[in-house]
Amino acid sequence: MKSDRILRYLAPILLFILLPLFLQGNQYYLHIFIICGINVILASSLRAITTTGQVSLGHGGFMCIGAYTSAVLTMKFGFPVYGAFFMGGLVAIAVAAAIAYPITRVKTVYFAMLTLFLGIVIMLIALEWRDMTGGSYGILDIPPLGTISIPGLFTIDFSTKFPHCYFILFLALLILLFLYRIERSYLGMTLKSIAQDEFLAASIGTNVANFKAIIFCVGCFCAGLAGSFYAHYNSVLTPGTFDIFSSIYIIVHVIVGGGKKFSGAIIGALVLTVVPEIFRVVKEFQPFVFVGVLFLVIFFLPEGLAGLPERVRAEIKRISKGRAQNNA
Amino acid sequence: MLETRGLTKNFGGLRAINDINLTVTAGEILGIIGPNGAGKTTLFNLITGFLQPTGGEVLFEGKNIAGNKPHTIAELGVARTFQLDRIFHDFTVLQNVVVASRLHAGIGFWEAIFNTSGYRRKHVNTWDYALKILQFIGLDDKKDELARNLAHGHQKMLGMAIALAANPKLLLLDEPFAGMNPRELDAALELVRAIRAGGKSIMLIEHNMRAVMNVCDRIVVLNFGTEVARGSPEKVRQNTDVIQCYLGVGKRAA
Repeated sequence: MKSDRILRYLAPILLFILLPLFLQGNQYYLHIFIICGINVILASSLRAITTTGQVSLGHGGFMCIGAYTSAVLTMKFGFPVYGAFFMGGLVAIAVAAAIAYPITRVKTVYFAMLTLFLGIVIMLIALEWRDMTGGSYGILDIPPLGTISIPGLFTIDFSTKFPHCYFILFLALLILLFLYRIERSYLGMTLKSIAQDEFLAASIGTNVANFKAIIFCVGCFCAGLAGSFYAHYNSVLTPGTFDIFSSIYIIVHVIVGGGKKFSGAIIGALVLTVVPEIFRVVKEFQPFVFVGVLFLVIFFLPEGLAGLPERVRAEIKRISKGRAQNNA
Repeated sequence: MLETRGLTKNFGGLRAINDINLTVTAGEILGIIGPNGAGKTTLFNLITGFLQPTGGEVLFEGKNIAGNKPHTIAELGVARTFQLDRIFHDFTVLQNVVVASRLHAGIGFWEAIFNTSGYRRKHVNTWDYALKILQFIGLDDKKDELARNLAHGHQKMLGMAIALAANPKLLLLDEPFAGMNPRELDAALELVRAIRAGGKSIMLIEHNMRAVMNVCDRIVVLNFGTEVARGSPEKVRQNTDVIQCYLGVGKRAA
């Protein structure tokens, strides 16, 4: 049992730790690895919000906040890079907290609409606040993450893609651990109970609005950090990156992976980042590929890709059972 | 323990609850009966904070709780069940009760995140506590089943277990016996008495007259949001106003 668990959690982690070493020679592969990391953070944090039964359509907006905050603070206000990096998350959580009160009190479609427009408004601010954000030209030459050095031990210089791989891996693992603790603790259980029946949850003393607000803020904080990282990694920010599709793709990642399981968002983000890259020749048809995958999953794998192993196991059981009956 | 003073609720022009004054004393089982649409469930919703009263007060242990949020009222010690079987369908039976034990456990956000020893201890205690409640209710042999797969009667019982897990001083049961077969009903009646014996007060809405007359100490009869009669089961049974509100007023009688 125990060794089984170690294998299930440690083996993938080890794989991802070793992977950049093998990809080292190819800058393009390293780039995809890094984008995977960002998308895993985004999808997992959005999934955390959806555990209460609410789907935020503005998650990309909070990534946008993190990215622009970190870039503007380093370039216009002389913040140290890591300070600004963290501020990206903090400003995202501050914005989330400021609007959490009204928006967590509305349900389903209304929540989706409000977050959708919120995401658009955030992007429009990035587009129109030209003094700060450079408007549609964006921000260029954002300084990379600062050199981390422990004298006598090691120095990490973020001038190439390779160290970025480990930074995003570390960040993603930290965030996943945090989200996993929430999921597996009392909190996760309470959040799921809210998704199932708000009235019943309230009747047993759950402050429904508070829990929704907390997890919304947590999710937005993670998205903000992912944005901060993106800004310093990419060194260029344009508002177009954070259009409505950025938010929708995150949702598609969660749905395709399977939002019911913690691993679902991770799997969805990885698969839907890597697979379209394989079909890079048809890049302009990417939305069609997404829609196609989405349709297939909704109809044939309602539990998402994460539910696939169970589905296969159940099928095998069914078939072998049928065979046993035929033989008898 | 609980007292309502002039409790009134309007839905637009409709007066759903009109000047209700009732009391529940400690350790009592108070029955609320009345025809459909009499305002019984509305009364429960007002007491538990799911609806805000238009006027009047709800005093729980001397404190006015009218207008408080449902979760606050639950924290103060008033739990309820729902007429429709509200349970957490995607949880197992045990998980249903565990999640309802949060108030009892008093678990904080950060200790849950950091998995402190205090949290782990509380966590284990909570599962024990939930299991005890299931044993009390008689569902412990079904603890690992998904709640959605339970039979109707068991879902009703689970609803009661969830409310009990919130550790209330006053328990409001909304049609706890509806749709039960005679054997389930007997067990449920026994259970309600056992809950009272455990020191809790109970208010219950029920249409099953045999059950109501059997288990209640006192009964309040509502019709069109107004109190029609109150008193012991025998007294209420013989009250002509009560008979009229259920059967209507005959021409000859009028």
